[in-house]
Amino acid sequence: MGQIESAEAVAEPQTTANDTSKPTSLESALAEAAEYGSQHTESVEEMAQKALECPCIADLRTGPCDSQFSEAFLCFLKSTSEEKGSDCVHPFVALQSCIKANPDAFSNDIVRKEESNELGPALEYKIHPPKWSKESRSSKSRL
Amino acid sequence: MEGEEHLSSSVCKDIPNLLSSFVDTFVDFSVSGLFLPPPPPSPVPLPTRLPSPQRLVAIGDLHGDLEKSKQALRLAGLIDAADRYIGGSATVVQVGDVLDRGDEELKILYFLEKLKREAARSGGRIITMHGNHEIMNVEGDFRFATKSGVEEFRAWWEWFRVGNEIKSLCHGLEKPNDPMRGVPSSFRGVRKEFHDGFRARVAALRPNGPIAKRFLSQNVTVLVVGDSIFVHGGLLPQHTSYGLEKINEEVRDWVKGSTGHFSPDYCRTADGLVWVRKFSRGNEQECDCSALEHVLATVPGAKRMVMGHTIQEVGINSVCDDRAIRIDVGLSKGCGDGLPEVLEISGKSGLKILTANPLYQNKGNAATVDVGKEQGLGLLLGEHGGPRQVEVQA
Repeated sequence: MGQIESAEAVAEPQTTANDTSKPTSLESALAEAAEYGSQHTESVEEMAQKALECPCIADLRTGPCDSQFSEAFLCFLKSTSEEKGSDCVHPFVALQSCIKANPDAFSNDIVRKEESNELGPALEYKIHPPKWSKESRSSKSRL
Repeated sequence: MEGEEHLSSSVCKDIPNLLSSFVDTFVDFSVSGLFLPPPPPSPVPLPTRLPSPQRLVAIGDLHGDLEKSKQALRLAGLIDAADRYIGGSATVVQVGDVLDRGDEELKILYFLEKLKREAARSGGRIITMHGNHEIMNVEGDFRFATKSGVEEFRAWWEWFRVGNEIKSLCHGLEKPNDPMRGVPSSFRGVRKEFHDGFRARVAALRPNGPIAKRFLSQNVTVLVVGDSIFVHGGLLPQHTSYGLEKINEEVRDWVKGSTGHFSPDYCRTADGLVWVRKFSRGNEQECDCSALEHVLATVPGAKRMVMGHTIQEVGINSVCDDRAIRIDVGLSKGCGDGLPEVLEISGKSGLKILTANPLYQNKGNAATVDVGKEQGLGLLLGEHGGPRQVEVQA
């Protein structure tokens, strides 16, 4: 019996494994373009622009930080550096500033609802706070 | 034109994943100021026993002091002036206590992650360990957190939340989990202005919290490299008989959230691996060398134990014939502001202290070996004076 069980256990990972590591086509196209240099710049630009029209992005291209988002995302898509995005400091900083000035730039009803729904039965979660954070007991009489 | 249409639809198929990595990159940059190299293709399993590398470097407690941490790494020739990893195939062990007492805890966690990835690409390895302060913080014990440290977590949450909001606006992406789920909205007895900071700290560091899962779950609690045992506090015979691999896995599973709020007992009690001071406190006379000998004998091939946890005011030192090596130099500004020193163990020259201490530059009788890195000097272990320690609570 033990043998049967262990045989099953060994076989299982093979059946559940599914291949998600395959490079996606936009990514590989961009990588290819990077490799072949500037002659392909136009098609990369074109591809990245097309990406901005995709439905996933639609809701992100509204609101006060729409242009900052688009620029940062576009730059990231086109980034060819080893640490992807590290050549996008300027558009990233611009997006940061916009979000700081408009904290609700991307907030949406679904997320807010969840947050206001916050965990029903006041879950007892005890922390040990540091001394500097405690309310003072100055009102206590010393007599 | 068929090709073009195909391109357009395949472009959109990829966008949710690309948006997700864009958001992660943006959040990481906003929190740490860093762009991380890509992670290793497959997750690296936790190491418990490793063969001896040519060069092994051990670094003590860092306690939220990013600048001094970098000084220590530079001293060891592990990073260059631009903070890039240049340590080649070295193995580096940080013996825990990155958290508490300092203001840049997250920045150190991120920086070590960056170095781990850079090191892996040049055949090196950086291994981080749990100290008692990692265990305490995952359990919600924040007594040694600084005001700016708590603020760093509050700011982390601001960016992390925006990131989740952006992700949840893309229909092709699964809705991200809310890390604040179950975190109380206030804490009794704590001043109101700090509630958001503590909520963020709980959310980030509790078992399965984003920071705990991403960074702390890579930590080991005990490690054997060649003939050296590494542990934050100290190893006792009962830990060996419990099983070193088992300890590392159980603590990791706890950090990942599968075993509840509290860590296993061997992390919590005074004789727990991250708390023991038996071999790191006091001088040679106060150290129970025969007990140490007994523990070492329980781990095949082990010749020495390398520990942090107790600040050594005189710098890195050894007792019991180089079998107990104490490397917590209290470098953080938040506790001692000691001069950075690291331990080097190499196949050829044995044990060496690399120190920033200028005193040793002219010390005729000290066995100094120029390691040729910045102001760093090599001192053979055992050349320090008698050890004196500073007792620091926890």
